[in-house]
Amino acid sequence: MKMAALCSEFGDLVQIKKHLISVTSLCKERGLLHSAKWGSELAFALDPLPKDELPPSAPFTEDDAQDLDALSLAKSYFDLKEYDRAAYFLKGCCSQKAYFLYMYSRYLSGEKKKDDETVDSLGPLEKGQVRNEALRELRVELSKKHNAGELDGFTLYLYGVVLRKLDLLKEAVEVFVDAIHSLPLHWGAWLELSNLVTNIEMLKSLSLPDCWIKDFFMAHMYTELQMIKEALQKYQNLIEAGFSKSTYIISQIAVAYHNIRDIDQALALFNELRDQDPYRIDNMDTFSNLLYVKSMKPELSYLAHNLVEIDKYRVETCCVIGNYYSLRSQHEKAALYFQRALKLNPRCLGAWTLMGHEYMEMKNTSAAIQAYRHAIEVNKRDYRAWYGLGQTYEILKMPFYCLYYYRKAHQLRPNDSRMLVALGESYEKLSQQVEAKKCYWRAYSVGDVEKMALLKLAKLHEQLNESDDAAQCYMLYIQDIFSCGEQLEHAEVSTALRYLGQYYFKNKLYDEASLCAARCCDYNDAREEGKALLRQISQVRDQIETPSADLFAPLSNNNTPVRRVSPLNLISFTP
Amino acid sequence: MASVHESLYFNPMMTNGVVHVNVFGIKDWVTPYKISVLALLYEMTASKITLPERRRLNQLILPLQQGPDLTLGQFLQTVEECCPQTAYAVKLRLHEMADGELKDMEYFFSTLPTPFTAFDSEAYKTSVVGLFMRHMLLAYNKLSFSQVYKLYKSLQHYYHSHYAKPTDGQEGLPALVADDSDMDLTSAEDTVGDRTGKEEMDTPLHVSELRNDNALSRGPLSQKQAEYFLARQAYLLKNDENKALKPAALQEELNNMLKFNPDFAEAHYLNYLNSMRVQDIFLSAHSLLHYFDRLILSGNEGKSNGDEGYGRSLRYAALNLASLHCRFGHYHQADLALQEAIRIAQESNDHVCLQHCLSWLYTLQQMKGSDSTVLTEDSVKMAAHFCLPYLASLGIQSLVQQGATLGKTAHKLMDALKDTDILHWKHSLSELIEISLAQTTSIWRMYGKSTMALQQAQLLLNMSSLEPVNFGVQQNNTEAFTVALCHLAELHAEQGLYFAVSEILQHLKEQFPPHSQHAKLWMLCDLKIQFERHMNEGKYHLAEPLVTAISALNKTEGLFRKAQVLKALNRSTEAYSILKRLQVHCEKTKCTEMVIRGMLATAGLHWESSGFSTALPLLLQALASARQHHLQSLASETILHLAFTQLMLGVPEKALNVLHEAIEPVLAHGAVMEKGRALLLTARCQMAVAGFRPNRKGQADWCLLSPCRFSSGSFGC
Repeated sequence: MKMAALCSEFGDLVQIKKHLISVTSLCKERGLLHSAKWGSELAFALDPLPKDELPPSAPFTEDDAQDLDALSLAKSYFDLKEYDRAAYFLKGCCSQKAYFLYMYSRYLSGEKKKDDETVDSLGPLEKGQVRNEALRELRVELSKKHNAGELDGFTLYLYGVVLRKLDLLKEAVEVFVDAIHSLPLHWGAWLELSNLVTNIEMLKSLSLPDCWIKDFFMAHMYTELQMIKEALQKYQNLIEAGFSKSTYIISQIAVAYHNIRDIDQALALFNELRDQDPYRIDNMDTFSNLLYVKSMKPELSYLAHNLVEIDKYRVETCCVIGNYYSLRSQHEKAALYFQRALKLNPRCLGAWTLMGHEYMEMKNTSAAIQAYRHAIEVNKRDYRAWYGLGQTYEILKMPFYCLYYYRKAHQLRPNDSRMLVALGESYEKLSQQVEAKKCYWRAYSVGDVEKMALLKLAKLHEQLNESDDAAQCYMLYIQDIFSCGEQLEHAEVSTALRYLGQYYFKNKLYDEASLCAARCCDYNDAREEGKALLRQISQVRDQIETPSADLFAPLSNNNTPVRRVSPLNLISFTP
Repeated sequence: MASVHESLYFNPMMTNGVVHVNVFGIKDWVTPYKISVLALLYEMTASKITLPERRRLNQLILPLQQGPDLTLGQFLQTVEECCPQTAYAVKLRLHEMADGELKDMEYFFSTLPTPFTAFDSEAYKTSVVGLFMRHMLLAYNKLSFSQVYKLYKSLQHYYHSHYAKPTDGQEGLPALVADDSDMDLTSAEDTVGDRTGKEEMDTPLHVSELRNDNALSRGPLSQKQAEYFLARQAYLLKNDENKALKPAALQEELNNMLKFNPDFAEAHYLNYLNSMRVQDIFLSAHSLLHYFDRLILSGNEGKSNGDEGYGRSLRYAALNLASLHCRFGHYHQADLALQEAIRIAQESNDHVCLQHCLSWLYTLQQMKGSDSTVLTEDSVKMAAHFCLPYLASLGIQSLVQQGATLGKTAHKLMDALKDTDILHWKHSLSELIEISLAQTTSIWRMYGKSTMALQQAQLLLNMSSLEPVNFGVQQNNTEAFTVALCHLAELHAEQGLYFAVSEILQHLKEQFPPHSQHAKLWMLCDLKIQFERHMNEGKYHLAEPLVTAISALNKTEGLFRKAQVLKALNRSTEAYSILKRLQVHCEKTKCTEMVIRGMLATAGLHWESSGFSTALPLLLQALASARQHHLQSLASETILHLAFTQLMLGVPEKALNVLHEAIEPVLAHGAVMEKGRALLLTARCQMAVAGFRPNRKGQADWCLLSPCRFSSGSFGC
């Protein structure tokens, strides 16, 4: 098509803007609202074009002229959701546009009927059978045309959607790729394709047109496949190329930061987003998750009230309110709002998982399991649900049983320390110290979020009487904590210091020992022990009248025991 | 985002956002089939029917009411067998409704006798029929406008699809004829009514099941059909794997079922069983956990068991996970899971679950190869205390097995088995009865009493199945049957009846195709028989390749066979080292039979180097241990070896004395080959005693005359 030829080089913003304007109007004519929205959002982010630069409207053919009246009538019915009526008046039209709208109305009518039907089915026998009756006919007609090569980009997209609904995923992928080739600018087709791509190998094997929109797709795909670094790189490139004002990209970057738990960055971006687009509701649930994690009550409250004012019957709004109540420890109400969100859209993944968390808080384990299972049903790759299931079973004191779930979660997020720590804890409960050590060490190596892995590792070594390793871990732990500068929250520092003091004392490194003991005195719970140790040290020093010279060497990192063998040398693998 | 329709999506299964998993708790929905049953009931109350016919119809009511939905053809056929006149009336009534208008159906429901008014009829409100009618009426009255129309549409479809496919009727025809003759025979006596009812009901169900297999791929099943399908497949997987659907096909059906009913937890369990069949640990673990996740939900909703049901499924979840790992040979994992199950069960004082755990614990110990007698004994005691006959006798059987290998006296073992048999028959634990018989066969074989073993095997094979589902079917394809058939094959092979052996093996191959779980048993048996045959015929080059296959199935056995082949090929040094390894290994695992065999083979090696006197202590040791374990066949074989050694040492009188002891049991129970050898040896001894000192030439003649190459090398069995 002409369009495909046009979009060859990336970087020519004027050209891109032209593409966007024309494809948006095409989508609007066909009732593809979401694609139109995406296109115009992106177009808005670019500088406006002078009058004579505006792209010409699509060529008007003889067929179009013939169908003009029927099409405008049908379009108005279509907009009012009278799909059957629209389809009736479009029957027999021969232009491509009319044909698409005709098929699309039939498809949507079938979907609508299916949804209505499910409400009053004749019992369980019927329940599973409720399906979009139009799909089969549509498929037959479309495949005939497809074989004859008469489908344009939009109809190919519709054909793909029909195939996907019929669970013919392999064919659907092919058709979507075709649709993208014939009309690269239609974002809906890319999105549908992204839902069908399950792994990076599959993504690499697809042959996609070389178009600027491909970068958007790849960035989206990387986010979906949890390859956040690559995704961020892609988005950064896009911003540098001139899309800096696009709210879409900002929100996507914020979501990506959220996924790698870079909370501050994500929060900053969301705040920026809300400045630019104050009435936006999309992605606000993610924003509220961040506020929740940071325990920013007033901000969350403000967000919730604001969103309720905009539209209270949106899934995102309900999720935000749920988070708000959860933060206020009103878990019943929180669960209620998540339920409401699910009523609005049962395929809303986040709400299922969040509801599971709420039930966990309420100690209703079976309901939590149910919620998590539903989340997994919606998306098998939802690591939070797997993790939640693991936690549930851990609470039920089934450490072996929960291993499976933690492993699943770990598989999906190999570099997330929380799963590794959870795995390690389970192994520890099962007295599988070797595995536990591996998990903790790995958790530390991938960058421990909660800073607990080292401490646990140290304690494990302590239990196993591997005092050198334990001291090494405590040392690393203390360094880690102090480098973060938030020692207040970590009362365990005193434990580490106490152990180190004893350790140095036993190894006759009295200077280091007394230093540790002195530091111990800074903490309430270790003060007495610290003092006792200091006294012991001075006693021993008195006994040994002639201290050797090297004991006066100042405490430095060189004096810390050298780690002899790491439990599992995985440092080289850290990302 | 791109799919606009998603916002339209609404899930009716949800109230307050929580999906009700157990919608299937409500089983009373009006379906076209139910309308047909209602029509039948109506006709039965309305019209005059002769007494025998009415009796037969009455027998039919309960299964029809509670069974899965049948197609109209099946339904009418079933009714017709009892009373053609009523069937016609029902058909007419359905025709009226289906070919009429919606009001005909409405009229039908309004004319149904209301259970509250009809005091004198069978449809009184407290009767089974009355209850059913009340349920139906209530369900019908609850339907909304569009639902009523839909019901009518589906009734029309139901009725017309029966006539659209005349093939259905024809398919059913032969069955009908066969049943009719059955009916004539039995209907004369109404005292056996129970049985008749059962058979009557069985046939249509089988037909419907066959049809199900075709229909499955077409659309979803009803709840009852799905339940029936699952129950039947699960039963078949356990008892007769061959008849169950092929793993791939079953998987497809299950996927189909789960696609339409994602809440149907039992399907996940069957999925687990099916994946176990193809040794897919990932899928089976996944399905198992999924099943229990689901079960926990439904367990929580059950009002009767309440909180208890929820905790219960947790315990059994852990236990099942243990068994999964155990089956895949992950003993360490299994151990951990089992400990977890035990801990939770202890915390909640669930003795029954603990008991199950205990029996798994000793099984696990056994599989790991450590001694578990004490544990097993405890388990049996506790099981008896908690009245769990299945576990108790399973434990006893396991004890018997251990006892047999440890050399407990025969009468004790047999007594124990007899006692458990009483228990089995009392509780009709058919599975254990089979195992018990197979076990007796094995024990007799181990003791070398081939006749007894043969008798027990035949007893098992001729026994009719006691399972309700396969009632009256003779062959039941459980592990016990495989074991018995393998013994049978080996016993025939011993007597040189190779044609019979090949027939038995052919049967085994058909019944237990190579992918099924018990196939390894007959594979090993087949290989062993072939090996023996080639060895006896002196075709060592043919026997050699079999060794690899044997070791793949059973390492110890493979090692022994390898030593045998090497010995036959005169590669004594290698053979000796292998036998040494075998000896050490078997002593560790307490495999007495193999130890003795190894000793005999080692003695044979000593002969080759003319070290007859060094072989002597070894043989005596073997004899002592064979006698201690009551292994008669091995004992007599050892005696033959001993006699030969003595003969070679020049004390034929002593040899003859010893031989007299062994010749009787050999002739009574031994294999043909052994009999021949024993007689030959006796003859040689007698000659030697009689003073006939064969010169070199004479000895050479002997060798030529002997049925097999009677050198010291081939003497070992």
